[in-house]
Amino acid sequence: MDRILDVFQRRDFIANFIIHIELSVLATLFGLVIAMLVAILVNRSDTASTIAINIGNIGRAVPSLCILVLMLPIAGLGFDNALFALTLLAISPILINAVVGLRQVNAQIIDAARGMGLSGRQILSGIQLPIAAPIIFAGIRTSAVQVVASATLATFIGGGGLGDYIVEGFQRGDIYISLAGALAVAFLAIITEVGFGTLQRTFTPKGLRLAQARARAK
Amino acid sequence: MIEFKGVSKTYPGMDTPVVRDLSFTIEDGEICVLVGPSGCGKTTSMRMINRLIEPTEGEILIDGQDNTSMSGTQLRRKIGYAIQQTGLFPHRTIADNIGTVPGLLGWDKARIASRADELLDLVGLAPDQYRDRYPAELSGGQQQRVGVARALAADPPVMLMDEPFGAVDPITRDRLQNEFLHIQEDIKKTIVFVTHDIDEGIKMGDKIAILKEGGILAQYDTPENILVKPASEFVQSFVGGDRVLKRLSLTRVGDVDLEPANGNGNALPRINAEWTLRDALSEIIGAGADRGLVVTDGESNGGSRGAITLDSIRKISHGAVVPRG
Amino acid sequence: MDSADDPPTSTLAFLFQAEFASEEQQQKGFIDWEWLGENFTEDVVPAFLQHIYLCAVALAIALAISLPLGILAARYRGLYGPFTAITGFFYTIPSFAMFIFLLAIGFSVGVTPAIIALVLYSLLILIRNVVTGLDSVPPETKDAARGMGLTDRQILWRVELPLALPVIVAGMRIAVVTVIGIAVIASYIGGGGLGTLIFSGITRNFPTLYVTGAVLATLLAISADLLFVRTERLLSPWAHRTRGAR
Repeated sequence: MDRILDVFQRRDFIANFIIHIELSVLATLFGLVIAMLVAILVNRSDTASTIAINIGNIGRAVPSLCILVLMLPIAGLGFDNALFALTLLAISPILINAVVGLRQVNAQIIDAARGMGLSGRQILSGIQLPIAAPIIFAGIRTSAVQVVASATLATFIGGGGLGDYIVEGFQRGDIYISLAGALAVAFLAIITEVGFGTLQRTFTPKGLRLAQARARAK
Repeated sequence: MIEFKGVSKTYPGMDTPVVRDLSFTIEDGEICVLVGPSGCGKTTSMRMINRLIEPTEGEILIDGQDNTSMSGTQLRRKIGYAIQQTGLFPHRTIADNIGTVPGLLGWDKARIASRADELLDLVGLAPDQYRDRYPAELSGGQQQRVGVARALAADPPVMLMDEPFGAVDPITRDRLQNEFLHIQEDIKKTIVFVTHDIDEGIKMGDKIAILKEGGILAQYDTPENILVKPASEFVQSFVGGDRVLKRLSLTRVGDVDLEPANGNGNALPRINAEWTLRDALSEIIGAGADRGLVVTDGESNGGSRGAITLDSIRKISHGAVVPRG
Repeated sequence: MDSADDPPTSTLAFLFQAEFASEEQQQKGFIDWEWLGENFTEDVVPAFLQHIYLCAVALAIALAISLPLGILAARYRGLYGPFTAITGFFYTIPSFAMFIFLLAIGFSVGVTPAIIALVLYSLLILIRNVVTGLDSVPPETKDAARGMGLTDRQILWRVELPLALPVIVAGMRIAVVTVIGIAVIASYIGGGGLGTLIFSGITRNFPTLYVTGAVLATLLAISADLLFVRTERLLSPWAHRTRGAR
């Protein structure tokens, strides 16, 4: 136990911990922005939406280590390139959920909104986005947890982060160093999962929660 | 007043129009029911009024003004819109739902709130109890009331209603229809009402436009005339074999000239003056009598206003039109 | 975590004792096609097959655990919460960390901890979909089956499971894709498979190796994804042949 604590107290540990968080937060944020822009862009078109969902599905299938590794020859080593690869990784889950979430809003609700004279933009911001919010948040949560986990692999392309300790432990034959890295990253992942779970509930409009409860009761 | 002038609609990629050369006029303060089998273009016709669908040919005038003279969204904010399944926004409270269009029109908050309360009262929902609830907390019938209230929110002169009472059970539907007719007596909106149910059409309509497949206007007239003088075999079969009975359901017993109730009235079935002739007919035949004693509410014994006979009902069913009470 | 008296770390560096021929270090272009041609059947194909094998075994075990647990949770609702909480916890732990934990509690480097981790990751997805699938069977259908005199067991095997199958297969699709991806990382602790090419390529700075590994793993995951989409459709013809366009 002490040997794990020793690792936590190393000066570079905090730095790498922060790098890990930085990588995860930025990648999720960039992924979110890109995914939402695309989702809003394809919102009006059936064909474009289907294409976006299919691309998202393929993107989700690509193993995270492969995305990082395949970026290596293109982008080289370093933090920026790890960030680039992780951003790519973050896009798919949010994209799929955002496209599906915006489109699954009941057609009659949209029809009523149009019939009352809401403009396309007002329907998107006032009706579709709030109703889709829980699903979009679920996507962000999946993305964020996945990015936190995959940021551990950034070490292989010189991105730093907590993965450095797992690898260092292997190289020096000291499992406690690996364990320190593993515990820290598991902690981050669980915090992320729980935190976004709470956010997701907060961002579910009360009326929708009631509607879900009612649907479940049936 | 809404005027259709040679309106046609053909969807891209389709050979035949869904609405063909439609011309008719809906007078102010009237309920015009668009009715017909599925695929007759009734909903399309209605949706062309507020330009949710743009016609391929012809024009639609609202109070003499071409409905393309302003933007679609501006136009729609001036026209009430209520649909089946209500399309209520699940994430907004009842009051916020009703306040949608007033909000778009820039009313201040206090005015929107008091308008929402006023309308909840009008459709028979206690404002204190319902304004802060969400659609999921309401029954189907209550949701439809809110749908109607929302359509009335900005007090539009024209309302479009697409099977607004379609998604509830028959008893609730009947009650909602009656309440709405009652409300309409006060508000006198110009209403375009789409339904596939001819009985609902007969009940709700001041005028009925019967459309047949391919979007052709088969007949446009009052319910009475459509029942008495169907313009074609199509109309006759669409209206149904029981159109004579349907016609009887348009007239209330109290609106008919009664015969004096001489002799011993005790053996006769009691007919409430509020009933329709159809109900009276059923009651008289069911009692094995040839006449019934007409009474008004609360005076089932004595105080009779006269008698109604099978003979007189038969005459009415064949004879001249009795004006609706 | 007290079992780490003798941390199995001494064997961990095995990966870095490259098993591959090392005369290729002077690069011939970015992808060394010549090397690839010479070593394809010897190094690449076995890694590929091993990857599939690893995933198939893990999925089979996961399914054997999830099906009974899922059926149980669908019957006894109270179990669903605990089941998803526990498996959800496993699912949240980053895989790279999970491997370390398995080693720390005494597993030695090799295929076993790799398969255990892969199974743990699949449980949440599979159990959830088994329950959702069984839930999606309309009560009227079950009632009709009971009315026709089927026993509970017959209802489960002849009515509920066939109707739930598409949803279960949809879960398998997600599980397979997840497992293929995590198996790549499992190579780091000796799980074998395509990750071996990747890690070896990175350590020796030999792009041909890691690009080959990454491309094959990606193709494998995407093909598995598409294969299961097809299977899902085949298994539920009723869902895709409803009236009209829908």
